[in-house]
Amino acid sequence: MSNESPNDLIVKPAPHITGSMSKTRMMQYTFFAILAVTIVSIALWSEVTTPSGWNLGLTVAIGALIAVGVAVAVDLLIGKVTSDSEVNTWSAAVFGLIVINCFSLGFPTMAVGLETGVPVEAPLVFYYIALISVIGIVVFKKVMSLAGRKLVNPAAAAKFLVLIPTLPTTLITAFHLKTGLLQVPALTAGIGATSIVGGNGAASFGTYLQSCYGLPSASSPASIESLMFLAKYHGWVGGASSIAVIIAGIALFALGRKYFKWKITASYLIAIAVLSLILSLMFGDVDLTTRLFFELFIGSSIFMAFFMATDPATTPFSGVGQIIFGVGLAVLTILIQTFMGFFGGSLLALLIMNLTVPLIDRVRIGKPFGR
Amino acid sequence: MNKMANLVEIKEQKDIARKTPIEIFPDPKIAVVLTNQQSGATNSPLVSVGDIVVIGQKIADSKERISAPVHSPISGKVIKIANVFNSCFEYPTEAIYIEGNGNKVKDKTLTPISEAELKDTSNEALIKRIREAGIIGMGGAGFPTSIKLSIPADKKITTLIVNGAEGEPYDTADERLMIEKTANLVRGVRVIRKLLGNPKVIVVTKESKVEAIPKLQEAFGKEPETQVIAKHLTYQQGDASVLQKAILGYEVPPGKRSYEMGTIVQNVSTINAIANAVFDGEPLISRVTTLNGDVAKPKNLLVKIGTPIADILSQNNINTKDIGNIVVGGVMMGTALQTIDAPVTKRTSSIIYFTKSTVKKDKKATACIHCGRCLNACPVRLQPIAIYNAVTKGDFAKAEKLWAKDCLVCGTCSFVCPSRLPLASTIKMARQ
Repeated sequence: MSNESPNDLIVKPAPHITGSMSKTRMMQYTFFAILAVTIVSIALWSEVTTPSGWNLGLTVAIGALIAVGVAVAVDLLIGKVTSDSEVNTWSAAVFGLIVINCFSLGFPTMAVGLETGVPVEAPLVFYYIALISVIGIVVFKKVMSLAGRKLVNPAAAAKFLVLIPTLPTTLITAFHLKTGLLQVPALTAGIGATSIVGGNGAASFGTYLQSCYGLPSASSPASIESLMFLAKYHGWVGGASSIAVIIAGIALFALGRKYFKWKITASYLIAIAVLSLILSLMFGDVDLTTRLFFELFIGSSIFMAFFMATDPATTPFSGVGQIIFGVGLAVLTILIQTFMGFFGGSLLALLIMNLTVPLIDRVRIGKPFGR
Repeated sequence: MNKMANLVEIKEQKDIARKTPIEIFPDPKIAVVLTNQQSGATNSPLVSVGDIVVIGQKIADSKERISAPVHSPISGKVIKIANVFNSCFEYPTEAIYIEGNGNKVKDKTLTPISEAELKDTSNEALIKRIREAGIIGMGGAGFPTSIKLSIPADKKITTLIVNGAEGEPYDTADERLMIEKTANLVRGVRVIRKLLGNPKVIVVTKESKVEAIPKLQEAFGKEPETQVIAKHLTYQQGDASVLQKAILGYEVPPGKRSYEMGTIVQNVSTINAIANAVFDGEPLISRVTTLNGDVAKPKNLLVKIGTPIADILSQNNINTKDIGNIVVGGVMMGTALQTIDAPVTKRTSSIIYFTKSTVKKDKKATACIHCGRCLNACPVRLQPIAIYNAVTKGDFAKAEKLWAKDCLVCGTCSFVCPSRLPLASTIKMARQ
């Protein structure tokens, strides 16, 4: 927009000063917030050794380096070989961190000894992480940007695409119930009593959570509250510690209050809480907190709420739009997890909600000044 | 109370300038007086090359109603009439070049009216005086003040707001006037009050103008139906319509003149010029302007209109080789000069100098990341990025549906944009 005038003055339109927040700074803040979460996960999971003999903390650390390294390298490479592609190293690095943090690692105790064919252990996971990183940055970041704007969250979309072949064995409980593989209980019944469906040993949804997220080497199971809130040892890397995610997320929002879409996080979490309480009452849960803690604090819920559902490019720009988005995401997530039995279904919910953004952006409540 | 919680705070950058008394800047050797400095009808020169003019002599005017004449700031000879790059237009426009002869002879067309004579002077005569003195809105808009103060007979004005908010960062000219010319402002307000049928007066300033507040309270305290309000105001609240919301609580519908709401908002510099014109018989040939930015010593200068900005820079030891840009009329809404030969105009509220290295720090525009920051920053609740997208696609019909016309061009959206998109200037383009 600027051009040089006869005596070298730089002529550009007003305003002639700018605020301190820039895209790069937003990405840097986000990077360090997610990095803090990743470091907590590495520290917690360094206590775990997987059946193949790998330290799980080390697996996360290497996985993070691979995801970030691949993303940054591919971004630079594309910048070099194309004429007008915007190189955005910090954005690529943030994407890489999200790739590792939304990847499921660790081995639930109840599955030890079972042949699942699921990539949850090094070194197999490293190939998957690299593949997700490449596909995410090339297809969902760069190619989509050419089309005008990113339609879906790149990390979520790439993970979904790469893991489609393994979805039945990892996540769809209907399959588990048929094969009796992992004793995953259904959420379409009351929690707390003996309502376990498909019962292959797990006495209740609570003990299912304990054997799924507990430290495999622990002598006695930790409480559900402490697992869900403080430390989990299986599932999304970024969800290892819910409290770490919450602290890092709130710190990020505080640093860039007007720039980060905290309204999505807040409306999502509130809607999840309300909906899970409604379901508890509907199904007659004996204990109201187990379903609530599950829906709020599994990694795919809490990490996504703070760091993926708030991705600026794929979410609505207005405050009202952000609240619609957050509530919609919560409704879809709860429906998918409860009635499809697809745990981690928030990933699919996010992709669906991302696609509704151009429509949500047309919603306008209130009129301009004086109208 | 102020419900506009979303207004963006912008650093004032006034610490030194606001404490620096007004200094008289010497007359220019050659004055470059723009034939047109007002918005409204076009003026034509009344003088030719070779004519001798005296201080305050009318040198350009128009027969149209919505117009304001210009006057010679110095005594001397017209040496040239030619186009010059300036801060009022994006292209060079006509200017009258006057070479000074050092004489102090003044034009006596406008006779001083004493304060005692004011109540017996007709409103028509006062309006004529304001027009003949060439007074226009000096806050930046440049609208002829004689027209603004000519209220249709069926409209009742209940409130006069004296706008001493001076929202633009760096600018302190109004603030110094409020400190140093308080009595003159009281005289000016009396004139306007008479013209408007004695409405109540609200003098509004910012709580950060600590030196001005007691002066205003003291001087205006004795005036009838007059109130001084000093409160926290953001940059955006310096705008007349946003200010009315902050003070009186209502929103002026876009396209409506503020007198339809029963209110007139008048800027401090303009009131000062009205007082000078009425009581001293002085046309508008000088004004206070702030020199600020990357300067060693920020200043408030009483400068003759027509003074080349290059003169001001050189006398303040500003290295012309290191100029990145010179912004005239405020860093948020003002114009970056094409050349330093541009003259001071009636609308030059400030001259802000930025070095090359300061300007180079500005980042280039990159793709929108859809953060939505501009939406909650807009003081008139528009959706800047949506309008910007429509305009860049050439869809002006959509831009209009998104109320692009309501934009104040305050620049806040561009200011907050983390991608540094030229939102405000693009929307301004669509408005035209």
